[in-house]
Amino acid sequence: MTAAAQRPRRPVVLLRPVPGRSPIHDLWAGTKLLVVFAISVLLTFYPGWVPIGAVAALVLAAAWLAHIPRGALPSVPRWLWILLAFGALTAALGGGSPVLHLGSVAVGLGGLLNFLRISALSIVLLGLGAMVSWTTNVAEIAPAVATLGRPLRWLRIPVDEWAVALALALRAFPMLIDEFRVLYAARRLRPRPMPAGRRARRRRRAADVIDMVTAAITVALRRADEMGDAITARGGTGQISAVPSRPGFADWVTGVLVVAVCGAALASEVLLVSTTFQA
Amino acid sequence: MPSNGWHYREVTNTGGATRGALHPGELAQASVMAALSAATAIIAVVVPFAAGLALLGTVPMGILAYRYRIRVLVAATVAGGVIAFLVAGMGGLMTVAHCAYIGGLTGIVKRRHRGTPTVVVAALCAGVAVGGLSVLALTVLSRLRNLIFDSLTANVHGLAAVLGRIPHMQVAADRLKQIFGTALHYWPWLIGGSSAVSVVVVSLIGWWALSRVLRRLIVIPDVHQLETTLDTGPVAPAPVWLRDVRFRYPGAEHDALGPLTMSLEPGEHVAVTGANGSGKTTLMLILAGRQPTAGVVDRPGAVGLGKVGGTAVIMQHPESQVLGTRVADDVVWGLPPGTRTDVGRLLGEVGLDGLAERETGALSGGELQRLAVAAALAREPSLLIADEVTSMVDQQGRDTLLGVLSHLKERHRMALVHITHYNNEADSADRTINLTGNGSAANTDMVEVVAPPGASRRVAGVAGRPVLQLEGVGHEYGSGTPWAATALRDVSFTVNEGDGLLIHGGNGSGKSTLAWIMAGLTLPTTGTCLLDGRPAADQVGAVAISFQASRLQLMRNRVDREVASAAGFSPHHRDRVATALATVGLDTSLATRRIDQLSGGQMRRVVLAGLLGRAPRALILDEPLAGLDAASQRALLRLLEDLRRTAGLTVVVISHDFAGLEDLCPRTLRLSDGVLEQAAATAGEMA
Repeated sequence: MTAAAQRPRRPVVLLRPVPGRSPIHDLWAGTKLLVVFAISVLLTFYPGWVPIGAVAALVLAAAWLAHIPRGALPSVPRWLWILLAFGALTAALGGGSPVLHLGSVAVGLGGLLNFLRISALSIVLLGLGAMVSWTTNVAEIAPAVATLGRPLRWLRIPVDEWAVALALALRAFPMLIDEFRVLYAARRLRPRPMPAGRRARRRRRAADVIDMVTAAITVALRRADEMGDAITARGGTGQISAVPSRPGFADWVTGVLVVAVCGAALASEVLLVSTTFQA
Repeated sequence: MPSNGWHYREVTNTGGATRGALHPGELAQASVMAALSAATAIIAVVVPFAAGLALLGTVPMGILAYRYRIRVLVAATVAGGVIAFLVAGMGGLMTVAHCAYIGGLTGIVKRRHRGTPTVVVAALCAGVAVGGLSVLALTVLSRLRNLIFDSLTANVHGLAAVLGRIPHMQVAADRLKQIFGTALHYWPWLIGGSSAVSVVVVSLIGWWALSRVLRRLIVIPDVHQLETTLDTGPVAPAPVWLRDVRFRYPGAEHDALGPLTMSLEPGEHVAVTGANGSGKTTLMLILAGRQPTAGVVDRPGAVGLGKVGGTAVIMQHPESQVLGTRVADDVVWGLPPGTRTDVGRLLGEVGLDGLAERETGALSGGELQRLAVAAALAREPSLLIADEVTSMVDQQGRDTLLGVLSHLKERHRMALVHITHYNNEADSADRTINLTGNGSAANTDMVEVVAPPGASRRVAGVAGRPVLQLEGVGHEYGSGTPWAATALRDVSFTVNEGDGLLIHGGNGSGKSTLAWIMAGLTLPTTGTCLLDGRPAADQVGAVAISFQASRLQLMRNRVDREVASAAGFSPHHRDRVATALATVGLDTSLATRRIDQLSGGQMRRVVLAGLLGRAPRALILDEPLAGLDAASQRALLRLLEDLRRTAGLTVVVISHDFAGLEDLCPRTLRLSDGVLEQAAATAGEMA
């Protein structure tokens, strides 16, 4: 059978931490969110080699500390490799400075370097997000957001309401994903006669989409009605977490470390070597 | 569910006049729609070539904007955006933001009863704004912009270099470079213009989808029941006296309850029994604070639903009343900030010791219901109402849950009202109130619980040709990842033509996975599942499967269209629709009924009509009796038995229950922890 012959593809696992405990798992969720946010901003403004390298080092160090096995990475589909290779090839042929002289042959590396840099940037940003998802229990996210957003309360922004909505959405998320799976399976079970004629076929397809969306929304509305009842039965909103959500000593250490690394990278980028501006 | 009291969903603006914090209903709608939108956005970003799906993420947001105030939409956007950001990064966040923006726009236009021209104008303005913002962002992020542009330039120049080597293509290569150079020079116009155009296009598609979906949503019944009580003053719901209380749902022709006179003292355990439609749930609503249509309800203070010392309600669906992602969080969910709760003690009292850190998603139905009891006890209620809490729970879970409920009185001074349709569950109560209903509900069927059968009983006398052959089937989810979980191990059995097989197992026994494998929907990681000698996974559709959630399997809006679509013929073949409906014992008059006006039992039958219309090799039923009342259960079973006997239909039932299934399924396999129990694996011995 096919299943035994080929290695199964590793699926993308959503919002589930890698089992086990580690210093990274034990960090406050708010710290992780802040770090990811700060680094994203840094890299968006200064996407140079030095910041990308520094952040990559941070991500790898965190992954090592958190005992993330290689298996946590989803399988990379083949078409993505092909796309990357194609991009790298055309970029390499584009030439540009710096030029590498190999004997009598001059190779312009500028294009390739730019392509590699933008690829590295995307990978580092993805890895950063993945680290949060691999080490954070979903239940810790909403309380952390509530704590982080506390200053916004002074601006009369309903942060607590948002945190509750976030907590409930995270609770509903896996249930909805399950329902999507059933919906998709139910669709696979049906015969799919395609009417003749392009116009009729397009109509059929549009009607199919509306049917699927309506079924999904119907289920979601029912879920929401029941969830509303459950909230009413609890007498409205209030606490969302049994344990207080606040940073500890390790979080301050992490914060200082990340600020130091990012600051150094930023300084080198702005003051010493600018990899961003090249004529 | 008060089947006679469904009020239709108000799809008009329901919350425009209200202000202040979100109501429970609004909050729940915002959260669920946020999850829906985030799920769509994530799939659009993560799954290749699915970007078009992001357009559909606008629909849930559009519905929110249409039905509620902006505050609800904002809360949903924040919640959905954070989830999408956690899973798919910035791309996910931006997708949700776009969905909210466009969905909000179309929803509000729809609410104001404006048409397509308004959408176009509004979308144009929005598009210009979005375009302007993108240009501004790229202007500020000059380094990122240079990097992206340089990288693109390199790609284009490389492509041009390759083209240039090909004879006669030199001109084309030069033109490519030239066009790209010009485009790059005018990038603000290009990017601003293209965002404007794409926002208009996406808005129009969202508008089109939203209009069509909303038209179909009008008939979906609103199943929410509880309402926040407005009474103020000190909380004291018990003792309570009801005198000649009647209740009629708006628009209904009969009273759903009453006249009823009863009293309830603190410390009393009262069971309320009665058939479906006798008003049990309505009585729960009255006790929980709804105003009766006639009669008097007397209590010393306020109802205090969910308040400390007030009224607590535990409902039927285990999954939906759990609000926390972690067990401990769910116990305290909704308590006033600063309340200290001894979570460990409460969990101990309901027999969930040491599970505080467990994810609620991993609990069984029975455990979830006991968790709901713990959450109720955290409020030290004076009145606890348990409304059909065991109906979605397997036998073992039912026994434990009933044990917990009957011991509550010893430790807490509260009035306990236990509403049930199982006669024997009422035994432990101090007294029983039997509701008889009002004529309309003449059936007085009560379900009797049947003793569990042995692993294997009689084997069907006729041994037909083998249909499904499972050989050493095992399945592991997430193979190769740290989350790998084995669902099935070395399962082998054969289903013959005309067989009636029950696969019995508790929560997490792997029975649903097994059903999906038999239907060909899941490819097992080890072993083979053959249908007529060929892999089942290559013949999806040949084995029919009826899922537990019938509504998910009904995709068309009307019964005839649904049956025709599922069976694969044209809905214009009225006689074929009629035949299909007759097969499952439904009247032809139902053919033009809208799907959402059907009862649970009717939905299940319509699903069966569609499935049987394709003459499947076998029919798999996943929990076919769940959520049906006693009469519908019996009728459905009789129908299935008939089909098996007369039409020779091969039936496989997947269930955590066995009550009444012995005639339909003479053969039983027991599955626990993904393994077939030894006695059952050799289903050879004759009775």
